[in-house]
Amino acid sequence: MCSIRCVRATSSVPGLRAHAHPAGRSEVAQCGFPSPAQDYPTEELDLTARLIRDRVATYIWKAAGHSMEPVVPDGSMLIVDRGIAPAPGRIVVAIVDGEYTVKRLHVDNDGRVTLQAENPEYPDIELPELSEMTIWGVVTYIISPAT
Amino acid sequence: MPEPRSIALIDAESFYASCEAAFDPKLRGKPIVVLSNNDGCVVAANTLAKRIDPDIMFKPYFQIKNWALAKGVAVRSSNYELYGAVSNRISEIISRYSAWQEVYSVDESFVGLRGTPEELESIGHEIRRTVRQLTGVPVRVAIGATKSLAKVAAIGIKKAFAEIGVLNLARYDAAQMDRILDSIDVTDLWGVAGRSGKRLAAINIHTARELRDMDPKWARKRFKVNMERIVLELRGVPCIPLEMVPPAVKDQLIFSRSFAKKITTEPDMEQVISLYAQCVSARLRAQGSVAQHLSAWAATGWADTGTVSHSAQATVALPTPTDDPITLTKAARALLPKLFPVDGIRYARAGVVLTDLRQADGVQPLDLFRPEFEGRGVGQALDEINRKFATTAVGVGLGGIKTPPGWEMKRELLSPRCLTNWDELLVAAA
Repeated sequence: MCSIRCVRATSSVPGLRAHAHPAGRSEVAQCGFPSPAQDYPTEELDLTARLIRDRVATYIWKAAGHSMEPVVPDGSMLIVDRGIAPAPGRIVVAIVDGEYTVKRLHVDNDGRVTLQAENPEYPDIELPELSEMTIWGVVTYIISPAT
Repeated sequence: MPEPRSIALIDAESFYASCEAAFDPKLRGKPIVVLSNNDGCVVAANTLAKRIDPDIMFKPYFQIKNWALAKGVAVRSSNYELYGAVSNRISEIISRYSAWQEVYSVDESFVGLRGTPEELESIGHEIRRTVRQLTGVPVRVAIGATKSLAKVAAIGIKKAFAEIGVLNLARYDAAQMDRILDSIDVTDLWGVAGRSGKRLAAINIHTARELRDMDPKWARKRFKVNMERIVLELRGVPCIPLEMVPPAVKDQLIFSRSFAKKITTEPDMEQVISLYAQCVSARLRAQGSVAQHLSAWAATGWADTGTVSHSAQATVALPTPTDDPITLTKAARALLPKLFPVDGIRYARAGVVLTDLRQADGVQPLDLFRPEFEGRGVGQALDEINRKFATTAVGVGLGGIKTPPGWEMKRELLSPRCLTNWDELLVAAA
């Protein structure tokens, strides 16, 4: 098994809602003394429910390259949510010249949109507009193995 | 008094091609065609591709290869894993808008909606926007008082409202409805097959309006109860209910395929047949049934001049109704002695068919006849492993061979199966 390092990819946006698991609790027939734990029913932690806000809006991607290091290590897995708005400051999957790229979305005071690399060795990219055509989805988590 | 329920038909525009474009930005705004199994012929094309060649559907790939290259038409193999996953997502999104939903096909759902005509149109736009936003696939929302009228609305969208994508027939008055139904050929209606179309034409019923104005009792007498229902539905009387529960257990299960490479040896065919038996047994367990009979068959290609034309078939009555993959694999091997009666046979297709299915619960086999592995949960264990790793990660007998052999389906132009396979995830340059 590989252990994973899991990073919340967010800046200014309020926390994600963790969904309660819909499945019912299992009832076990009891003989004799009731378990003292039965008044504290609990679900075990479910990573999928924690990381995925809405199953039908969520896609799993892979990042390839070094432009977003150290925030997004080369080869990390990205949880991408298409159901939330691409607010400035968030990491997004964008489409530039027909190619997918992962960068941090920046909008300056004049409304100019740029895709910024975390790694200073890489240039920022200017985007003509902010739309469904240019922003594919918002990265909500970055998952990479512990090294 | 609540508003009467309307029916919305939600269908995806050029579904396969739209799925391809949703995950590949290079395909946006481009003509796209999708090929059948084994890259045989065109089974789907988007509007742009159909505009270049209106007769593109079902043309063999080798015939259109150069045409596609010259015209800049993107060609893809069928990515069934992707289409299936996207279809499930779309159905689930739609289900959030209505408690009544019938998933009619891979790219169509009927839902019941209540509200004023304006509210319904606005829900329609909302569904269209949400599905587009979350999946990238454009859908159309066609609304009418009945299923048949929703289908009429869908024809209307294709004809005149393609850009808007939402149409509610309730916005039209009686005279306008007459004109709309007048413009629709009766054979374009839902449920009117070509043969009934001919019989209707013989009694001078050519348009949807003429059918609507037919006496329903007479329609039932001359045709069948279905025609009476269509007549009433066109008048706005709901007769065809939403089938919200998926149809009951299938009474027959088939797993058959054409091979990318012809099979000329018995060990190769044994591997194919073993694998198919396991695939079909997995489907059987998925629907919770057991089978009494298994048939396995293999045949040469009808147009293959390089082979002796031949087909072989074997049917086995199983000792007790079962879903056990080991028993089913063993039974499928009954085909082997019937193969290759003469030299020079090249098999192009094979299949395994299970018949006489019943609910697994209802069966109480005598222990005496119980297949030896059934009680040990071998089938469930195989399903579990194959789900966790990959289809055919493990299997019984020769079906368990790991490297994909030459006869697997040919899909040379396959896009990444990015929703179902860990090693084919979408990649973003960082």
